[in-house]
Amino acid sequence: MITTQNLTKKYNNQTALDRLNLNVGKGEIYCLLGANGAGKTTTINLLLGFIEPTSGNALINGLNVLENSKETKKFLAYIPENLMLYPSLTAIENLDYFSGIAGKKLTKQHLISFLKEAGLQESAFEKRITAFSKGMRQKVGIAIALAKDAKVLLLDEPTSGLDPKASNEFGQLLQKLSQKGVATLMATHDLFRAKEVATQIGIMKNGQLKEEFIANDISLTDLEKTYLVTMNYKEVAL
Amino acid sequence: MLSYNFKYELKLLLRSKWIQLLSIILLLLFGFSGYNGKEKVAKRKAAITAAQDEVKKNDEMMLQLLDSIEKGMQVSASRWTLPTSPMAVGNYHPRVAAMESQSMAFIATGQADLFTHYVKPKVSGDDAALNFTEMTSPVQLLFGSFDLAFVIVYLLPLLIIAFSYDILSAEKESGSLRLLASQPIGIQNWVLQKLSLRFLWLSVLVIVALVITLFILEIAWFSMFTAFMLFISIVLTYMLFWFALAFLVNLWVGSSAKNAISLLGLWVLFVLLIPSTLNQVSTTLHPMPSRTLLINEMRGLKAEVAKKQDKILDNFLRDHPEYAINDTTQTRGFYHRYMASQQLVKGELKPVITTYENQLQKQQAWVEKLKWASPAITVQESLNKMAGTSTGDYDHFRKQVVVFAETWRSYLTPFLYNNQNFTQKDYPELPQFVFLPKPESKLHLVPVILLGITTLLFGIGYISSKKFEERTVLTSF
Repeated sequence: MITTQNLTKKYNNQTALDRLNLNVGKGEIYCLLGANGAGKTTTINLLLGFIEPTSGNALINGLNVLENSKETKKFLAYIPENLMLYPSLTAIENLDYFSGIAGKKLTKQHLISFLKEAGLQESAFEKRITAFSKGMRQKVGIAIALAKDAKVLLLDEPTSGLDPKASNEFGQLLQKLSQKGVATLMATHDLFRAKEVATQIGIMKNGQLKEEFIANDISLTDLEKTYLVTMNYKEVAL
Repeated sequence: MLSYNFKYELKLLLRSKWIQLLSIILLLLFGFSGYNGKEKVAKRKAAITAAQDEVKKNDEMMLQLLDSIEKGMQVSASRWTLPTSPMAVGNYHPRVAAMESQSMAFIATGQADLFTHYVKPKVSGDDAALNFTEMTSPVQLLFGSFDLAFVIVYLLPLLIIAFSYDILSAEKESGSLRLLASQPIGIQNWVLQKLSLRFLWLSVLVIVALVITLFILEIAWFSMFTAFMLFISIVLTYMLFWFALAFLVNLWVGSSAKNAISLLGLWVLFVLLIPSTLNQVSTTLHPMPSRTLLINEMRGLKAEVAKKQDKILDNFLRDHPEYAINDTTQTRGFYHRYMASQQLVKGELKPVITTYENQLQKQQAWVEKLKWASPAITVQESLNKMAGTSTGDYDHFRKQVVVFAETWRSYLTPFLYNNQNFTQKDYPELPQFVFLPKPESKLHLVPVILLGITTLLFGIGYISSKKFEERTVLTSF
């Protein structure tokens, strides 16, 4: 569902992403770990078609995102670190708007069911987004993905700034989506959440994918050690 | 996407306090300017009516005097003012040559605060010295009139800028653009649809504001429906022009602050700089002869002809054998000599007057040719023409008055040279001024051409932004 083939992005002489090869299949959750500037967000921007690669290909559902920009966006949902919705619209209205412009005409009952499925408390459905916490906004983001019937989910630091409870709820939501067959690529700093939800984990540094694991094959402690070693924090941390 | 964009953009507009405030300001501006325009028209009408009433009153007195004289009664009036004298009628009982206001006069003051709306040409007066310019407060001239045209040409673009400068940049700055751009939509289309809704909203507001204003001010706009529709179409296409500029700026420029400054810069360019530059260049290219010099030349000529009035009169009578009199008791007096010399002065001044008129025409033609350089000029000119207050309208009136002055003179001069008294039975024959409005200009082309310019701007924006692609738009923040 999500594929990158030697995906490379250079800004002048600086390489932001260096020949990245990834493959995230149906129902898989791939967590990209790495420090700031490792190339995680660049990967997501390339998959969204926000920036053009210097070389290589980014594919969603087998389609090149550059050549099939609109088509690929029909399959995907994106949740950035700070999901910004329209503050003067309610949760239902935001959901109706974003699913509507994506081509999904839904009844109010459907919209409510998606918000419920995303875990948003019912009292918040008709409230304006202004007063929503980050966790609540992320849930609306998940509801948008559900409403769009997205096959691919691209997440950029979605749990940063969330309290443990909200982060845990978010993780559970991702697993629910995974069970529905959604392929997820999540860029994160959160090793614990990555270990909890991911099926595959990759560690990036300086635009390169340095390590790759099957999540079940590695313990959280080993993951942390490997991460720190990869980041050259060995002396400090171990 | 269209229906969702429209539905939610409307909700966002209705819930935005800023937009609510702008909408109220718009309604107030239209109301106040409409009221001002109506007041000005009422003042103009009142001035003309007062002048006509005065003439009517004078005429009644004149007829009473004539009646008394014709009955052989003694009257206590100066010999110079007795209405039996055609020159007394021509000078002390002139007709009012009035420029009646047009039905749409309330929309634009135009040149109305510079020129008078009526004159009373006298038989011994000079056509060149007919005073068409009114004394006006220089402070008011500096700030202009707060009429509908002012609101439409100057203030409405500012409201449009306030409505549209941050359509895209606000999304970038709030962070919602990333979520939007991840949807299967084109950012250009999305911006265009948002702008379209705002244009529709503002159009409805403008039309409602106009109709309410006209209704409250009891202006019978329905009776001038065609003109009103033309007026609306000019206003809407002018608004569309500013929305097209906002579209380009939203796509090409970056932050909200930069967008606002860019659009204000364009406002200064189109509304202030281009019109004032064109005006300056037109007066430099086709300078008007000095009015002071004209007056001086006229005075010099008059002084010169005054010295040889007898000779001039002889020459005049030689050219007009119809005025020959064989009755030796009849004499030639002051007015005979004066009127004959006037003919000569007029002939001598003709080249200067012609130069003045030619230069004026050249200036007008130059501005007319280049008015498309700024839609603000085009719209101001069009609204002035619709209101009947353009430079051309006043020039048209001035020419009619000059013709009427000649008619007035021509009617009374034979009485003078035939030494014939003016009587009651001659009164109904006195020439009357009938104002003929300037034939309507081809204003229906204005909205069509403005629409063409706007379409071109939208096309340029659309095609050029396609090159950037939304990737570039998104990475600019």
